Amino acid sequence: MARSHNPVSRFGLWAVFVILAVLPLILRGYQLRLVTEVIIFSLYAVSYNLLLGYAGLLSFGHAMFFGTGAFAVAILLEHFAGLPLLLAVTLATAFTTATGFVVGCLLLRVKGTPFALLTLAFNALFYAIAVKWSSLTGGDDGLIIDPPQLDLWLLTLDPNKGPDFYYLSLAILGPVILFCWYFTYTAMGRTVLLMRENEDRMRFLGYNTLLARLSLFTLTAGLAGLAGSIYSLFFAFVSIDAISIETTTTVLLMTFIGGTGHFAGPILGAGVFIYLQNFLSELTENWPLIMGVLFILMVLFTPGGLVGIIKGAAQWTASRRKTPDLRKGAKNRHAHSGS
Amino acid sequence: MKKLLTICIAVMTVLMMTTGVMAESTIKIAVVEPLSGNFKDIGDRYLEGVHYAAKVANENGGLLGKKVEIIPMDSELKPAVAVRKATKLIMKDGVNFFVGGTGSSVGGAMSVLANKKNAIMLSYGMAATSLTGEKCSRNFFRACATTDNQSYALAHWVADQKFKKVFCIAQDYSFGKQAVDAFVTKLKELNPAAEIVGTVMHPVGTKDFAPYVSQIIASGAEVVFTSNWGNDLTLLLKQAKPLGLKAQFACYYLNDENAIRVVANDEAVIGSVTAEIYMVTIPTEANKKFVEQFKKSEGRYPTWLRGKAYLATTFLFKAIEKAGSTDVDKVITAWEGLVYEGPAGKWTMRACDHQTQMPIWIAEIIKNNPYFEHAYVATPEEVASEKVSVPCDKTGCPGFQ
Repeated sequence: MARSHNPVSRFGLWAVFVILAVLPLILRGYQLRLVTEVIIFSLYAVSYNLLLGYAGLLSFGHAMFFGTGAFAVAILLEHFAGLPLLLAVTLATAFTTATGFVVGCLLLRVKGTPFALLTLAFNALFYAIAVKWSSLTGGDDGLIIDPPQLDLWLLTLDPNKGPDFYYLSLAILGPVILFCWYFTYTAMGRTVLLMRENEDRMRFLGYNTLLARLSLFTLTAGLAGLAGSIYSLFFAFVSIDAISIETTTTVLLMTFIGGTGHFAGPILGAGVFIYLQNFLSELTENWPLIMGVLFILMVLFTPGGLVGIIKGAAQWTASRRKTPDLRKGAKNRHAHSGS
Repeated sequence: MKKLLTICIAVMTVLMMTTGVMAESTIKIAVVEPLSGNFKDIGDRYLEGVHYAAKVANENGGLLGKKVEIIPMDSELKPAVAVRKATKLIMKDGVNFFVGGTGSSVGGAMSVLANKKNAIMLSYGMAATSLTGEKCSRNFFRACATTDNQSYALAHWVADQKFKKVFCIAQDYSFGKQAVDAFVTKLKELNPAAEIVGTVMHPVGTKDFAPYVSQIIASGAEVVFTSNWGNDLTLLLKQAKPLGLKAQFACYYLNDENAIRVVANDEAVIGSVTAEIYMVTIPTEANKKFVEQFKKSEGRYPTWLRGKAYLATTFLFKAIEKAGSTDVDKVITAWEGLVYEGPAGKWTMRACDHQTQMPIWIAEIIKNNPYFEHAYVATPEEVASEKVSVPCDKTGCPGFQ
């Protein structure tokens, strides 16, 4: 989780930015939709990894926030005709953040397994509310959304058009993902990391660890809510699937496949998961079985995920490069000592 | 080397051209169904009906001179999955026609997609009223009953039988609530003297119905209305009679030989009634011919879902034929107001909301029937489409622009 200041990394970041900006010119239709989906799930997975990878909090209920954001934006647009798109997204995110705060106050008194089980229970509660409160959520039938156009000063974006929605999601979610990256280097981000390593010591040093955990939990809830709200606008539809345990499993898989030990892991995981799911579901209807086996294999043999594999490969290559130099050096030393 | 390259290019060009010709020579229909998971059986049965419709069309020279190609698409009963796969089919394979019957949430998401991409989504089983109500779409058509239609038909039967004490039991989610609400509203309108002596909304997946059955017995109900499906229907019926319930059941989904087999006790189902838009036992000449041909071709009867999917898909073919083109806008225009006199009576696609106006058939479950060794539906009676219809101005559909 080290931040790199070297020019190569900065160049890489700019290159990614330029590629993402021109992508709609290269990719069309379906492929662009997949990339948009990857961007949305990247934020969802990044928010999950802030909890799991950085704070060491295993949650089985992150979908409750993703779903709350998704339903909130749909309900707002349905009941408040003429509500601007960005305001609806902002209000949905704010509502999810507030929900995260309340849930966090109730859940964060416990840690470890009890915390994980309670998040599972809360997710089930949120799911039940979505199913039962059908007059508001549409229940099992879901809600159809008619996303309004986004009028920016000189520019009008139509969320129903693929490239427009791509730019919209990139413009909203891209900076938020960058902010998350920045957050991990702030004092607060560092505190969370140190708390994971030794919470007693942090408390001894005078930190209010409960408050720090609550702040992080609330932040991740808001981020998941934002991802959820964009997700429902993307499909122009929201169903109880968005708030189901399965959506939590999805983010768990994405994060583990990508790797929890690096900020980019969940983003990579989201991309691989969506493309793999898309590819495998074409081949067989039993694709979840393959995903499950992949997950087990990754947890057993490469706990660092794909990022771990990439890091390992990079280190191995670097060591291979260094080895001849060392041998050469040793040879020279030997020659000098012999003379 | 140069020769080899020339041959390669020539072969590839021919292959590409052939593929292009093949793509243009078929009319592709994607079938959006759960083809894996818990609801695979439902999806498979619907798919059989669509396949048979395509088979009949192809045997008769195809549609507009082109072969009909069926593309099964596993929705996994998840709206997001269905939309992702359907988008790919639209954008990569040029599919414009989608049919499906399972999951109103999938129907809602597909309706949005069809509208965005200017495709057609036809439902032959998604019953949520909102799909052709307040959330209607120019690109969404429905050739099956809504919860309103089916509940209205059963309300007519209950009112005609002059039952005085009626009990309602349904699964506690949007579908169950809609079904009960529509039934109660219509029954009050048809027979104000009928009393709803109790209503139970139980959790989906209930295993023990004994407390509810006791409640029904205690209420003195003469008839029990239920929109339950799956295990919630079979377990309710299985447990009701042995516990001493004498009242008749008026069910949504007993027109299903699999459900009757699962109950595994003919006495528990005999005397109950069921309502549907299609039954094998419909006494029209067209249906007798259809059942005979289906049995001959597929080796089984076109029961329930198979029949519904066949009829609806055939209705779509009629619209394409009338349009004389696969152009979506032309098909939509041609379909509005189109009349199809098929095995299940006269069907009319209403232009105001794209909801097919069709009769609903009501039948009692009897012991002796020519189809199965166990009990099955008797010859049904028709409830005219006008009796179960919701007027255009009451659907909530604002119309199409």
